[in-house]
Order: sequence, then structure tokens, then C-alpha cells
Amino acid sequence: MPEVIESKTIFSLLEVTRSIQKTIADRYKNLYWIKAEMNKLNHYSHSGHCYPELVEKKDGKIVAEIRSILWKADFQRINQQFIKLLNEPLRDGITMLFQAGISYDPMYGLSLRIVDIDPTFVLGELEREKKESILKLQQEGIYDTNKKLPFPAVPKRLAIISVETSKGLSDFYKIINNNPWGYRFETTLYPALLQGDKSIPSIIKQLSLLAECTDKYDAVAIIRGGGGEVGLSSYNNYLLAKAIATFPLPVLTGIGHSTNETVSEMVAYKNAITPSELADFLIQKFHNFAIPLDQSQEKLIYFSKQHFLRERNAIAHSMQQISWSSKNKIASEKHGVLILTQRLQLFSDQFLREKQTSLEHLDRLVKLADPTQLLKRGFSITRMNGKIVTHISQLQIGDRIETIFIDGKITGTVTHKEGDHGQ
Amino acid sequence: MANSYTYTDAFEELQIIVAEIETGKVNVDELSEKIKRASQLIAVCKTKLTATEAEVDKLLAELTEEPPQSDSATPEEG
Repeated sequence: MPEVIESKTIFSLLEVTRSIQKTIADRYKNLYWIKAEMNKLNHYSHSGHCYPELVEKKDGKIVAEIRSILWKADFQRINQQFIKLLNEPLRDGITMLFQAGISYDPMYGLSLRIVDIDPTFVLGELEREKKESILKLQQEGIYDTNKKLPFPAVPKRLAIISVETSKGLSDFYKIINNNPWGYRFETTLYPALLQGDKSIPSIIKQLSLLAECTDKYDAVAIIRGGGGEVGLSSYNNYLLAKAIATFPLPVLTGIGHSTNETVSEMVAYKNAITPSELADFLIQKFHNFAIPLDQSQEKLIYFSKQHFLRERNAIAHSMQQISWSSKNKIASEKHGVLILTQRLQLFSDQFLREKQTSLEHLDRLVKLADPTQLLKRGFSITRMNGKIVTHISQLQIGDRIETIFIDGKITGTVTHKEGDHGQ
Repeated sequence: MANSYTYTDAFEELQIIVAEIETGKVNVDELSEKIKRASQLIAVCKTKLTATEAEVDKLLAELTEEPPQSDSATPEEG
């Protein structure tokens, strides 16, 4: 009871706070559905209770703020429901619809006691968040940026954002390191948290580290798997999706879940459902390079062999031709020389024979014409004054003539002339 | 002297001499001289031909011997 001192009624603090408590309890008897943004969950793991900070913002400024309490049992129940329906635990930074009572405690002051949170409302919020991220990326014209990057022919050097202990990562390593074709991958792990709100700054930080040394890698792979389906809405985060979309190297995702594709996966160069599928994708890229290469090699060998064979045949053919035609040529030349030799013999013989014949003929003629031969046969030659007399008309009676015989000559005088025709 | 003649020159000259003798352009005084010249040319041609033939035969023999040599020198795979 309040004391009265010097006509003043004086209340103790407890009396005042109890009065406030009673007034508020009388005034706010029901549970109310309230819409607010949960700025911070403030989950205390040792007690299991949560003390969420609730705010309402207008144009980015906080216009209302109140503490709240979510007891361990309520938190566990609500969280279970969230995980079941949303694949998401209760988390910070989300607008939610919750049922709460308004209470005042002399020790802890005014707070809202949350008894239930509507998961479907949160689901809508998550969807809205996702759509907003997509829309924003599209408006900025960076939604397709990573997809449009040229993909290396041989994605050999991989920067991997994952956790050492991830089951998905070990599946991935198993496939790429034990591939039967002997393709060698070089992997470098950049450890990061892969689910929940903290994954956003964690992955972004590794991406920004990687952006400093893009020349060392062909592609970046974000690999998760075996971690269940919970806490993947962080991949819808605008900042994370933007970091992936604008990354200068192709980003590949193998986050390993069966629910709807997240924005980060949508903007990545390639989204594989599982890390194993991602490994297969990379191996396929190697195939795409290696198979035509092998084929080219085979073709090269085949065609060069063919070429040599063809040339060898051509040489053999030429050789036969040379052999044949040179022998032929020599034979024909030999024949030519032989023919000429024969002709030479023939014609020189003939020539000489002709000369001989004409000589003999001449000889005969000469012999026929020789006067001694005539004289021998009884002919004689008559001369007058040293000139041959062939006709009697050349002579007159009384001319002195000289008659030549084979063995000498006589001198006489013409006494009588008588022609052959009786003149 | 004879060696400085090519086969072609010798053969051509020989042809000319034969043609001259055939057509009777040669007189008797020149004949023996021409025949002497012709037999020299024939000798040149025959010598050249024999030498060439021997050389060609040798080269051809080398050609046909070469492939098995090169095959054994470069063992092929398979």
C-alpha cells in the first residue's frame, strides 16, 4: 500500500509497475494478430528462449519498435512448422504475421509475447522477396550477365565455394577425380557457410576474394549437398544473386535440393540440381573438347598415312615409267644409230659402186675412142697439112697427104677422087 | 675431243652425213673423209649409249632396292 508522508501519497516502484501491469492486463486481454518485421530473432541457445526485436519501417526509417518474447516451447513448435512448410527456420529480417499478447512485467518492462507465427504469410513474404530480387536484377540488366560469359573450352581450374565436410563436395570430388577418361581438374576450396542468413555475407566474401584472382581459375563452383533442404532462401537474396550474376567468371551451382530453383541458381552460368550432376556437366565439357580432338588425331594419322601411301605409289609408278622409258629410249637410240650405220654402209657402198660403174663405162668409151685401137684394126688416119681429113671434099687432085698407120706413116699425092655415090 | 661431243650433237651430225651420202651431195674426194668422220661419230654415239645404259641400269637397280631398306630403317608401329 502507498505511504502518505506530508500529505503526499508515495508509491513504491513495484506498486507503480504492478499498477501498470494490471492496467495493461485489463486493457489487453486478448491475443492479437500483428504484422511486423523481425529485425533480430535473438535466440539464446542456453535457455532456448528468443527475444525478437520487432520493428515497423516507413520509407526505410523505423517508426515503431518493441521487444518480444518467444518462449522455448513456442519457438520450437513454430520453428518446426516453418521448417516443415517453408523449408526455412525462423530467421531475421523478415516481415511476419504473428499472434501475440501484450504484457508488462515489472522486471522486464513492456513486451509482446508471441504465441504463434503464420507460416503461410511468411511463405508469401519469401516469395515476394524472391520476385523482388529477380525483378531488381532484371531491371539492372544483370540477370543474364553470368550466363552470357564465354565458357572455357576446358574448365580445368576450379575455385570451389563449399565446406570441407560437405557430403555433396565429397561426391563431387569423387566423380571428377576418379573419372575414367583421365581428365585432371585442379580444385581450390574457398570455405563458406552454405545455408542460413550467414551464408549470404560468407559466400559474397569468398566471391570478392576470388574476383581478385580470376586469372587463376576457369570457373567457380558453389557446392552444397547433404545438408537438407533447410535454409536455402538465402540463395534468393538480392545481394548474393547479384554477386553471382556479375561475377567475371562463370559461376556453377550444385546446391543439392529438390525445391524450387533459387535466384542465385537462376542467374548462375549453370545450375546443376546436385553436385554430382555438376561434376558430370564439367566432365561433359571435357568430352566436348576431347572427343573432336581424338577424332582429329585419328583423322590426321589416317590421312597422313594415306598421303604417304599415295606418294609411295606415285613414286613406284614413276620409277617403273622411268625404267621403262629410259630403257626404251636407249633401245630406240641404239636402233637409230644402227639404222644410220646401215644406211651409211649401204649408201657409201652404192655410191662407190656407182662411181665405179661410171668409171668403167668411161673407160670403155675411152678405149673405144682410142685411135690406136682403130689403127690396129686396119683403119688409118689421113692428114693434110697436119689436119685430119674426114671427107674427100676436103681434098683436091694433087694435094699432098699423109697417111698414118699403127706402126708409121706414108706420104702420097691425091691422083683420083671418087665419091661413094659414084661422083 | 670425242668426249666433248654430246650424244645429240654427234647423232645430228651423223644424220647429216648420211643424208648427204644418200642424196649424192658428197664427191669422191670427200667420201672417205666423211665415212671416217661418220664412223667416229657412230663410235661416240655407241660409247655414250653404252655408258648411259649402264648408269641407268645401275640407278634403276638402286631405286628398286631402296624401299625395303627404308622400311627396315624405320620400323612401323603395329
